Amino acid sequence: MTTLEENAGPVNDPTTDFNIFDPEFVRDPYPTMEEIRESQCPIAHSGRWGGSWFPTRYDDVVAIAQEHDIFTSRDIIVVPRSAAAAEGPYAGVAAPPITSDPPDHHWHRRLILPVFAPQAVAKYEQSTRDLCNQLIDKFIAKGEADAGTDYAQQIPVRVIATMLGVPTEMADEFTGWVRGVLEVGLTDPKVRLESRLKILKFFQAQLDDRKKNPRENDLITDLLNSGDKYPVTDQYVLGVCNLMLVAGIDTTWSAIGSSLWHLAQHPEHREQLRANPDLWPTAIEELLRAYSPVTMARIVDRDTEFQGCPMKAGDRILMSFPAANRDPRQFEQPDEVILDREHNRHVAFGSGIHRCAGSNLARLELRVSLQVWLERIPEFSLIDPAAVTWAGGQVHGPRVCRVRF
Amino acid sequence: MCSIAAPEVFGSDELGHATVLIVGDLPVELHAKTRRAQANCPEDAIIIEE
Repeated sequence: MTTLEENAGPVNDPTTDFNIFDPEFVRDPYPTMEEIRESQCPIAHSGRWGGSWFPTRYDDVVAIAQEHDIFTSRDIIVVPRSAAAAEGPYAGVAAPPITSDPPDHHWHRRLILPVFAPQAVAKYEQSTRDLCNQLIDKFIAKGEADAGTDYAQQIPVRVIATMLGVPTEMADEFTGWVRGVLEVGLTDPKVRLESRLKILKFFQAQLDDRKKNPRENDLITDLLNSGDKYPVTDQYVLGVCNLMLVAGIDTTWSAIGSSLWHLAQHPEHREQLRANPDLWPTAIEELLRAYSPVTMARIVDRDTEFQGCPMKAGDRILMSFPAANRDPRQFEQPDEVILDREHNRHVAFGSGIHRCAGSNLARLELRVSLQVWLERIPEFSLIDPAAVTWAGGQVHGPRVCRVRF
Repeated sequence: MCSIAAPEVFGSDELGHATVLIVGDLPVELHAKTRRAQANCPEDAIIIEE
């Protein structure tokens, strides 16, 4: 049950039969989320894609995230992996710490946190600003551009490559591999496995190189050399590289793309940000809330009942942070983007022990990319709203998004 | 998040975990910012004693 054909067909009642890869849901998931959230079954269940639960209320999503003992992170992808991926080379490589459960989760996370601390990511601000300006230089004279492929897609991949100490010239290849794992590959197991193997083979070569030629101030070298403090293995370091590439690119790219898509349609918000730069911190949080890109899975450890739902060991739960962030029980006027929203305890980065380790970097990239765009291109609009294409399922955001200015 | 909303009150350690920078009572001019940090803390981890 892992291909589009096997899971196609009309959805009559989303509370019992939702399809996260239904084209309409991929394009605009919010009406379906609202329908489920306000129904008698706010935690929906569907047999499609191997079967999964879909909590849509803020309190339920947060409660499940906090109960990491019952709702484990042994698989965080929204569809089951193919049998082929569980065997063969690199079979044991996961994506720590996001795929780790306690007790190992603690040191798996502890080792990578320092590179993502606010003071550590601040050093990428100027280079990110320069990168954004260089991207805009290439298309500004044309009077139009694809805010998705020419801009949003190009930024996080280069920032992450720089952090990992791997060639930024390989940006297009990295992007292709990540889409293979998180986007195209979710409905095509062959693509998913091939992309995964490309990523892991590439990073294994990087690890081998660092062992022969250690580098100064280099994340991979530093991780390999942390064995005196923690039981670090190649499998762990490979998993961290895998995570940073896969989780650090598609997600932020989608947040930048959605925000530009929004701003293209809301001149009053562009004007507000121009007139009052102090709005940026709350505006970034509000855009993250309203257009949260990420849905993560949890796997039920043992039979349990949650909010009346009989969950069985091995069941998959889709942690819809986008649905939680539009719950009117938590957010007034949840479908409105209010740039100076006063109370915004959003869960775009998740909640609990698996809260996104890279949130400070993601915030920086989102803020800088939007600021530079608005400085250089203060006025812009969608060329054809109907022609915007979207990715969804695990990470929701625009892909092709042509704008005129 | 709190160090963005109220940078005078909250900082972060080398792991990025939040720290409180002010010992004792908060100056009145920082009350509004601190309440904002509390209202936006994603982990609901800030307690203001009055």
